[in-house]
Amino acid sequence: MTLAAFITRSRREQEDWKYTDLEALLASTNKTFNLDTGFRRYDEDGDNRAYLLFLNGVWQSARSRFGSVPSCILMGDLESGYQLTLGEQTCLVAQPIEMVFETDSNAPAEIALKLSIDIGKNGRLTLLENHLPSNTITTIETDITLQSRAKFVHGKILASGTHLALHEVRVASGGYYNNFSLLRGGHPARNEINVTLEGEEAQAALNGIMLLRGSDHADTTTRITHQAPNCASRQVYKTVLDGKARGVFQGKITVAPHAQKSDGYQMSRALLLSDQAEMDARPELEIYADDVKCSHGSAIGALDEDAMFYLRARGLNETQARALLIESFVAETLDNVQVEAWRDIFRREIGEWAQ
Amino acid sequence: MLTIKNLHASIGGKEILKGIDLSIPAGQVHAIMGPNGSGKSTLSYILSDRAGYDVTEGSVTFKGRDLLSLNTEERAAAGVFLAMQYPVEIPGVSNMVFLKTALNAIRASRGQSPLDAMQTLKLLRGKASAIGLSEDMLKRAVNVGFSGGEKKRNEILQMAVLEPSLCILDETDSGLDIDALKIVADGVNALRSPERSMLVITHYQRLLDYIKPDAVHVLAYGKIRRSGGAELAHELEEKGYTDFVNEAA
Ligand SMILES: Nc1ncnc2c1ncn2[C@@H]1O[C@H](COP(=O)(O)OP(=O)(O)O)[C@@H](O)[C@H]1O
Ligand SMILES: [Mg+2]
Repeated sequence: MTLAAFITRSRREQEDWKYTDLEALLASTNKTFNLDTGFRRYDEDGDNRAYLLFLNGVWQSARSRFGSVPSCILMGDLESGYQLTLGEQTCLVAQPIEMVFETDSNAPAEIALKLSIDIGKNGRLTLLENHLPSNTITTIETDITLQSRAKFVHGKILASGTHLALHEVRVASGGYYNNFSLLRGGHPARNEINVTLEGEEAQAALNGIMLLRGSDHADTTTRITHQAPNCASRQVYKTVLDGKARGVFQGKITVAPHAQKSDGYQMSRALLLSDQAEMDARPELEIYADDVKCSHGSAIGALDEDAMFYLRARGLNETQARALLIESFVAETLDNVQVEAWRDIFRREIGEWAQ
Repeated sequence: MLTIKNLHASIGGKEILKGIDLSIPAGQVHAIMGPNGSGKSTLSYILSDRAGYDVTEGSVTFKGRDLLSLNTEERAAAGVFLAMQYPVEIPGVSNMVFLKTALNAIRASRGQSPLDAMQTLKLLRGKASAIGLSEDMLKRAVNVGFSGGEKKRNEILQMAVLEPSLCILDETDSGLDIDALKIVADGVNALRSPERSMLVITHYQRLLDYIKPDAVHVLAYGKIRRSGGAELAHELEEKGYTDFVNEAA
């Protein structure tokens, strides 16, 4: 989906874009980002991470590193879209794959990415999208299909920039979709994740952290549809806001008439570090079945003064004390990250942001 | 070490401390006793520059410096440590990370290089076992799920690690059984030194059986009503604070 298509959508579905006025935000964006801070840093660690490098939206097979991942894992091109297909019983968990999206001075003003991921029966995939700082407007449309009992652990780091993402995820019976997204800014960023739990006992866990400051605007919008009985979904989102940043969380859980024994949980918490920052949270439940367990909540708070005093009385300056309390605030969500190596990456990103 | 002169302080415009004079020489342990609500915690917060607690008159000199001109972390760096009456819980941050961050912040202020993970671990293990805290408590989130006694021991552990020159202990004995009290007192006594002063705030005389003070002061209604030696604590134990309440009224 191109930028133009996103704009058309935002005009058509005004209620869904109530807190993110896309056209106004795009018109007011004039920030440029330092492109020279990113992936290489991880690369130096001497670890054996497999990664697929995309430069200006074009996959660079020769500059990618495959490890034990077969190089035919990815097909397609920027124009027609990329496909990642995993056959039945194929397991790529031992070697998590990283997709690194980088832009340079030759990048066009806009890049529209299309990605489709199909995981066969009992297949297992672990994939991290790493979107480096960019001055290009990136749109990314991702279609994900999990066949029965397939499992997909899907991570995402967005450094900064204008980024519009739409995920359509379909999970067959016994399948499990796990998403963790770290948004470190946005001018604006919109991360939309739609999950349909199509088969019995399908599960989804969506977790995310948004770290926003200055004039950042980031929006996480999730829609989970329980379409079959005995499905479960869990969502925990944490947002830290400083400066004049604005955060949006919209989460909707729909339970179809026959989806009995559905179990849905959704929580959004925000930490406001400045009184000029703003958080809009809109949880929604739409339940058409009668035997379900669904709950949601949202909370917005400030830094705990007692904790700040405690830490400063131990010698931490305000910045250090705040960084530790931010770490404390997001810790619950980080615990839900399934890949230990990612947890370290996320922790480092968060620590850097908080300094 | 510490000289407090005619200190007046208020909370939200209400005067709580009404002219405190107190001087603690280096190496000495002074106790402050007093009824609930007399201003003991207020004094400890004033010495640590807690927001909402305002000095309206008087002066505090610490190691020759004007303490009141420093903010909370600058006072910590200068060597003031307050073991809090109500230690704060910080979920999701391990005690180890907290202690390491604090230690390296204090070390940096002293011009010392930071300790690395291994050095810190070694130091913390040693100090923790001396105060009877298991290694497991170092890994757990700061004060989360700690019993009252464990929280107080954790305060003493921080004190032992940061090596301050003025230790203020605010009701460190409250909520402790006799065994925990002895462990805490041992920990405190181990830190006594000619270069270190202590201000031990307590409601009960019991703690002072284990931490022998050089002087005892009675704080009631915002003022020090009486000062004396260790024997004053015993007298208070027998008579209670009624005399001072009458005196103030
Ligand atoms: N945050 C506060 N706001 C208003 N009054 C307070 C506050 N904290 C303490 N006080 C009052 O200040 C007085 C002294 O309290 P405190 O210093 O805690 O006494 P102590 O520690 O001796 O029990 C009490 O009358 C108490 O009610
Ligand atoms: Mg008190």
